[in-house]
Amino acid sequence: MNFTILVKEFKKGIGMAEKITGKNLTLPILDNVLIEALPNFLKISSTDLEVGIQWWGLCKTEKEGKIAVPARFLNQLIGSLPDDKVNIKEKGNSLIVESKNLKTQIKGFSADDFPIIPSFLKEIYIEIDGKKLKDGLMSVVDIASPSQIRPEISGIYFTFTKDSVKLVATDSFRLGEKTIHLKSGFKNLFEKEVNFILPQKTIKELINVLPDEEKNVRIYLSDSQVLFETLLSNSDHPEINLISRQIDGEYPSYQEIIPKESKTKITLNKEELIKQIKTAGLFGGRTNEVVVKAEAGEKEIEIKSQDSEIGESELSMDSKIEGESVKASFNWKFILDGLSNMKSSEILFELQGGDGPAVIRPIGDASYLYVIMPIKM
Amino acid sequence: MTNEEIWQSVLSQIQLNISPANFATWFANTRISSIENNEVTVSVPNSFSKEWLEQKYHKDILKILKSLDDNIKEIKYIVTPVNVKMSNSQRKGVKKEEAFEQLGFSELEVSKETNLNPKYTFDNFIIGPFNEIAYAASMAVVEEPGKNYNPLFVYGDVGLGKTHLIQAIGNKIKESDANKKVKYIPAEKLISTIVNAIRNQSVEELKKNLRDIDVLIVDDIQFIAGKDKTQEEFFHTFNSLYQKNKQIILSSDRHPNNIPALTERLKSRFNGGMIADINTPDYETRMAILKQKIEEKNVNISTDVLEYIANNIQKNVRELESAINRIIIYRKTNNKTIELEDAKKLLKNIIVSPSKITNYKKIVESITEFYDIPSGNMFFSSRKKEFARPRQIAMYLLKKELKMSYSEIGRKFGGKDHTTVIHACQLIEKEYEENEKIHQEIELILQRIYSK
Repeated sequence: MNFTILVKEFKKGIGMAEKITGKNLTLPILDNVLIEALPNFLKISSTDLEVGIQWWGLCKTEKEGKIAVPARFLNQLIGSLPDDKVNIKEKGNSLIVESKNLKTQIKGFSADDFPIIPSFLKEIYIEIDGKKLKDGLMSVVDIASPSQIRPEISGIYFTFTKDSVKLVATDSFRLGEKTIHLKSGFKNLFEKEVNFILPQKTIKELINVLPDEEKNVRIYLSDSQVLFETLLSNSDHPEINLISRQIDGEYPSYQEIIPKESKTKITLNKEELIKQIKTAGLFGGRTNEVVVKAEAGEKEIEIKSQDSEIGESELSMDSKIEGESVKASFNWKFILDGLSNMKSSEILFELQGGDGPAVIRPIGDASYLYVIMPIKM
Repeated sequence: MTNEEIWQSVLSQIQLNISPANFATWFANTRISSIENNEVTVSVPNSFSKEWLEQKYHKDILKILKSLDDNIKEIKYIVTPVNVKMSNSQRKGVKKEEAFEQLGFSELEVSKETNLNPKYTFDNFIIGPFNEIAYAASMAVVEEPGKNYNPLFVYGDVGLGKTHLIQAIGNKIKESDANKKVKYIPAEKLISTIVNAIRNQSVEELKKNLRDIDVLIVDDIQFIAGKDKTQEEFFHTFNSLYQKNKQIILSSDRHPNNIPALTERLKSRFNGGMIADINTPDYETRMAILKQKIEEKNVNISTDVLEYIANNIQKNVRELESAINRIIIYRKTNNKTIELEDAKKLLKNIIVSPSKITNYKKIVESITEFYDIPSGNMFFSSRKKEFARPRQIAMYLLKKELKMSYSEIGRKFGGKDHTTVIHACQLIEKEYEENEKIHQEIELILQRIYSK
């Protein structure tokens, strides 16, 4: 193996691949990245046997070959290099990195021991704007919570129809749903509804990998795996492949959680609500509990919180109240999590009394909704 | 050799040639799922194992298999994800250490296939004299669904555990035989499904789905009262399941004969199996329920507080639970032991719920209406039997509900002696306990009185 590549490129690839490696005691080879010199391309792969990443970058290859080297170490080394060219060779089971003022040799392992990242049939796929997908995922990813008992709700649920994508996550106390409507540039070659559940960890990696600019991502499926693929600019060659296992199981029919109507509707300024909730939260104590109270016909809502050790607070804010009077207790952090994913200046807070699910929606943006269960009073 | 033995010998030979780490990573949770037409299908837990076995060990595996069985020509690898989901009983072991009661989406707990909520089991169902018949009947149904007691009809007031019991039956049947198709449907849901099916002209499909079920559980069946179309569809479903010896379980807040606007043919079907009622729990059972609840939540609450709750909340298990929950939350958030006085203060709202109010006029009117007799003088003095019995009931209810004195009641009924009134009250009291028909009549009259 012998190739020359720009340090900037190499950094990009190794940085991405290094993230999913970690200390693996049973199979130490997983702490490594696989470096492969292919004609005109450098390929870097890593996996933790749940998620796998493959990255391709242009390089000048003199001699093909491959080797596995410790990921963290290589990343640190490359990170310290100046932006220039770097020449990389393989000698025995070592990787030799050479640039203008430096010559290093890193002990590696035979590529034969490196896991084989599953391949996919690439005939049919879904193609979607990567930026939109990334933004959508960011608005739901933190809601899910790891659960050994209910693996199927610990992940993010994807539903692709012919012109939209729904992303859903819940931790059984609250639920977020993002709908991305797609007009152009979207292809669903499966020609039917496609659903799958992916682990939260995968989605966090995916958000890292997805582009910040408008660029399409292709999604391929196999029985138990999903592949997200971005292409190199102006080329049909893949740049990044992220492969993940799907969570086995059926996602619960979450639509039944979303209330069809509400008893009380409160319109609020979002920024002010965030401010008030944060202040009230200071007095929320261990339970994070704040009480929201709205009287029919009034023009203000009250937000109260108290803790036997800290003290108590009473806040109010202007609002438009429609429907019945209501008093309900919530975990203020949950409210804040929902609000932070909304971009509108005003929000609608819909309640079903003190023990039914409440819904928060950004006004003027039907694509997002957040359902939250109260704390029993 | 069985498939397990074959695979075992493959593993034992492979093990010799590779490192323990590799062996543990790639061969864990692998097995032979079938051997057909000289082709062995090996199931592996994930795609990584599949690739690895296919590309690195295929030759070795094939060689070993051939040495065991000459005919084997091919190996196929398939991914079968390992089911790490915990079973019901394991789930229970995971105690939630919630300091306060953050409500969750109960819909998520519900099994999509059966609609049953796994939290309802027999293990956490408390049995007392008030529900032992219903319990015994349920156990008989669990043992042999469709054989004994079909349909099983459970009735009783709200909050006494009907839903718990019938869902526990479903869960238990499903647990002992996962292939049984169990379906739990609240009646309201059944009605809306049938209405939608009629609108979308998919009744046939719905019928097919319903008739495929081994155990059909319908909760709160009284809601189909007056819904003629639903009753008709349900009647057909009922018959078709019944004829195939499929178990049907129904619950209601009253006896089938007392469900108004229910067609006769359904009434007689509902009466055709076992009818079990759940009464209000006695004191000992109420204590047992409270004790179980605090054990589940892992908190200590003194016996006199529990006794106070058990003494003051008598008719409804759900209220009992909400009272104890309130105490537990208070205890946890304030981190101090609860004294009887605290409990009294905390439970003021639940216990001193506005008592039901009625008066002399309402009681008399309800009785004359119920028995369809004129409310004039006859009612108060006639010796005819058709008047005498309602009059006695009226006396009994005036005594019981309004706590009027015997002589006062006597005066209301044309100056009757107080001993006559005492006799009437004792007589009806006895009948109420012993005669099912009278018991029901009085219950229905009471409903009328308090719904006015």
